[in-house]
Amino acid sequence: MADTTTDKPAEAAAGGDERLAHRGPIQTLLTRPEIGALLGAVGVWLLFWLVSAPFGTVGGTANFLDVAAYLGLMAVPVALLMIGGEFDLSSGAMTGATALIAILLANDINGAGLGLHIAVPLSLAFALAIGWFNGTVVEKTSLPSFIVTLGTFFMLIGAKLGFSKLFTNKVLVEGLDEAEGYEFWNGIFGAEWLRNNHLWDTRTWSNLWIVRDEMWALLLIGGIAALMIGTFELTYARRQSPNVAGLVVAAGGTVLALVGLIYLLAQDGTTSNWIGGILVAAGVLAKVAGWCRFRYEAPDRSERGTSARWWQYLISGIAALVVSMIIAVVMDATDSSQLGFLSGSFGKFVFALGIAAVGVLAVVAALGRITPGYPMFGAVLVALPTISFLVTVQAARVILFGGLALLGIMLLWSTARRVQPAVTVSLAISAAIVVLAFFIQSESASRKLRVELFTVLLLVALLLAASAVARYLSAVRTTAPPPPQFGRWMHVCAALGVAAVVVFAVIELVDGDGILYALLTGVAKGGIVGFVAYAVGTVGRTLLTRDEGVGRALVTVGIGSVLLSVATRLMFVTGSELETICTVGTDGELRCPQTQFGVVVLSFLVFAAIGSWLLMRTQFGSWIMAVGGNKEAARSVGVPAARTKTTLFMMVSGAAWITGMLIAFRLTAVQANVGDGNEFRYIIVAVVGGNLLTGGYGSALGAGIGAVIWGMISQGIGFAQWNSDWRFLVLGALLLVAVMVNNYVRGRAEKAPTASAATRPDRTEIAIVVPAEPAKGAKED
Amino acid sequence: MTDFLELNNISKFYGNIIALTGVTTTVNPGEVTCVLGDNGAGKSTFIKILAGVHQHDEGELILEGSKVRFAHPREALAAGIATVYQDLAMVPLMSVWRNFFLGQEPKTGVWPFRQIDIDKAKMIAKEEMAKMGIDIRDTEQSVGTLSGGERQSVAIARASYFGARVLILDEPTSALGVKQSGVVLRRIVEARDQGLAVIFITHNPNHAYPVGDRFVILQRGQSLGNWAKDELSQGELTQLMAGGAELEELQHELAGADSNGG
Repeated sequence: MADTTTDKPAEAAAGGDERLAHRGPIQTLLTRPEIGALLGAVGVWLLFWLVSAPFGTVGGTANFLDVAAYLGLMAVPVALLMIGGEFDLSSGAMTGATALIAILLANDINGAGLGLHIAVPLSLAFALAIGWFNGTVVEKTSLPSFIVTLGTFFMLIGAKLGFSKLFTNKVLVEGLDEAEGYEFWNGIFGAEWLRNNHLWDTRTWSNLWIVRDEMWALLLIGGIAALMIGTFELTYARRQSPNVAGLVVAAGGTVLALVGLIYLLAQDGTTSNWIGGILVAAGVLAKVAGWCRFRYEAPDRSERGTSARWWQYLISGIAALVVSMIIAVVMDATDSSQLGFLSGSFGKFVFALGIAAVGVLAVVAALGRITPGYPMFGAVLVALPTISFLVTVQAARVILFGGLALLGIMLLWSTARRVQPAVTVSLAISAAIVVLAFFIQSESASRKLRVELFTVLLLVALLLAASAVARYLSAVRTTAPPPPQFGRWMHVCAALGVAAVVVFAVIELVDGDGILYALLTGVAKGGIVGFVAYAVGTVGRTLLTRDEGVGRALVTVGIGSVLLSVATRLMFVTGSELETICTVGTDGELRCPQTQFGVVVLSFLVFAAIGSWLLMRTQFGSWIMAVGGNKEAARSVGVPAARTKTTLFMMVSGAAWITGMLIAFRLTAVQANVGDGNEFRYIIVAVVGGNLLTGGYGSALGAGIGAVIWGMISQGIGFAQWNSDWRFLVLGALLLVAVMVNNYVRGRAEKAPTASAATRPDRTEIAIVVPAEPAKGAKED
Repeated sequence: MTDFLELNNISKFYGNIIALTGVTTTVNPGEVTCVLGDNGAGKSTFIKILAGVHQHDEGELILEGSKVRFAHPREALAAGIATVYQDLAMVPLMSVWRNFFLGQEPKTGVWPFRQIDIDKAKMIAKEEMAKMGIDIRDTEQSVGTLSGGERQSVAIARASYFGARVLILDEPTSALGVKQSGVVLRRIVEARDQGLAVIFITHNPNHAYPVGDRFVILQRGQSLGNWAKDELSQGELTQLMAGGAELEELQHELAGADSNGG
């Protein structure tokens, strides 16, 4: 025994770790709990975008974001509470309760007449008190929070109905807009952002419309480029001495891509589209190749593809795709006459071939060398002429094209699975996407598909191809990249940003705008200034220094740019839109139909951001996960479990207060049953977003994405003009799919890096870890 | 010479149940004190008194020459006594670095934006685990994916990093296979060599004897005695542990049954 303990090398026993490779950024992303929800959201968006005209417009987006925001505002804190291992069933009823209390206390017709300056803070105090009560009772009694908050839930419902009837003799409490202080509070909770009203003022900056038009596209392209380079930085090993020739190629590629892009935008026509597109693609690929040569270690080529026959799959896959495309081009899509192969000489030839094939097969079978593939082949040959009597040219074209394209993609996928490194995978998928894009373009009559989806698909294919090139040319990191060393520059950015916030806010205030509005635009503009400084610093460091930590900063810049791009698109009217939807009045002023974004959307986004930051980056976040994952363990290392949980309950009720106020100021009159029953929606949305029902694991951002999915589905059904009776059926099915995708993706990503096949423990294992006998005396805090 | 931590006739009663009586032993830096006992022998009560979860009713606990009594787990922690509970030590769904720093996260930034210094935390966790001979490439890996022995190692590394002087290990090997137990025993020796006083609670004399410097055997709440390693052989330890006479009796019975049957 002594031998085992002292002489044996520790490495042998801890062997699993040696085989654990460094996780690349993509793989790390795939293990995030919200990834399934994110993919689901993209899928749902695409679905409704395809089937409905107004869904993808700014108006449609404002519409579903509004629904999502009311839900997500609550779902984020509810998710945090769930991660902390508790539920709050009173959260839905609480939203209505705070609204009722505020109105009843404030108005002097049938309420207490205290005015809103007292009533609004009082309703907050009430909400926090109930949250504190929920938390304390759950902690002191050790009862399941399910039961405790169910009690508060019923008490709130009863009280809401009772008090409304008592004061107003109705179930509808109204008169908020007549209460004292309405103007002030409505400026906060009732505020709305009118699209294109601000930031770049239409009148003074009208000659810069063109800049704004290109702005969102530029931000998007820049963001994607930063994301891609950042991912490369995180994934590939840095070269010792940079290769200058590579840099020249990269610069040349960039110029080529830009020239192509400008040509594409300037010219209009099929030929110029082809030329421009090819220039852009070639430029991007050259740029990526040059950059990788310049910057990253070349890979070790000694490890080649493992499966010998992968190239057979590759060739047959590509052949199938090519044949499918030829069929798509050669056969007439509008011809609805019967195929009738047999009427022409070609048909007779095919028929003869079929008969001959059957004969050959019979001989082969007689020789006893038959495999299952041959009879199937023969059956197809025989069936072909027969089917040709029944099917029209149109239908045959679709069947043949679709079948062959599908077969080709499956074969390419098989190739992909057989080959290491993964370069072929990306190239194969990229090729398949290009084929799909051209097919869609040739088949569809709708502009949306022919132009927009076509362009997006080509771009995706290009990105995939570029990543394949990078993967082929560069060696993968074996160690995690070091943290970025940005210390001083971060301070400069922060100082610039804060200064800009102050300056812009003061300018708006002097201009005579409301205080909330001035603050918000100030923060937005100041944030942009800080972000630009950060982006400039990051790009500079990437090009000029050897800091290996820039990858993470580049990814941050990329995500920021993409988000800014989306915000720009949603917030500001583009020049082309102005031409089509706006009119110039007799007084020379421009009048545009305006889309409104309620302050609720902003609150939702802020909540999702703060919630994510709290959970991922702060001590409190660690404590939330710990008390939800294993309360006794958390307690034994000094985490104040009771305080953490009570704070979580109070955060939920605080968010309920904000939601209640937003509802009250939007409607000015509130039904006694407002919000009742929503608590389950919050929980469902949180689960869709990847939060574990049993606690200890999840994502605040995921809950936000879940809310957006819910909003898209519930509004999208209306936009698509489907019968809304089926709404819940669709909703249920899509939610189920979302959760299953989530589970599947996470399971795959978790399994991949660990050779020892240890996976994330599921519920049963957590249950074992929970102590059978909780330690007495460790109870306080 | 005064001992670092001294236990004199420690007793604990739950009402009229005698949970522990007359336990005497010493604990010193660079030594491993093993507490052995079968189920229900009073081992958990013993740990809980030292960890500050319960308080002793009789006898005295002397830390560095002065009498102490821990009213709360925090007091014991502050005095440098860290306890690694068998299954309660870790939050399986959390990453290695989060577990390592749970409750004592290193922070950076100014107040409203105060956040965990994640890079530092990851780096330290990796280094400390490397000192224990475990190379964790990615500390973002969740603890649930680690093996039982590795989990114990994380807990031990954590305790020693946060300045524990006495490390109490509650049955660290009982749920582990032979190989994994070896790993944990090795950690115990390493912790001892780093100058920690280790209290190793177990019911397995084969695990205790190779690493222990001092042995206390508990049986039904009673202390059978307190031996230094040179006063006791492994055989004697096993015998004492198994309840001596009872085991012999069983052996005779089995031998009888064997000869009858065969």
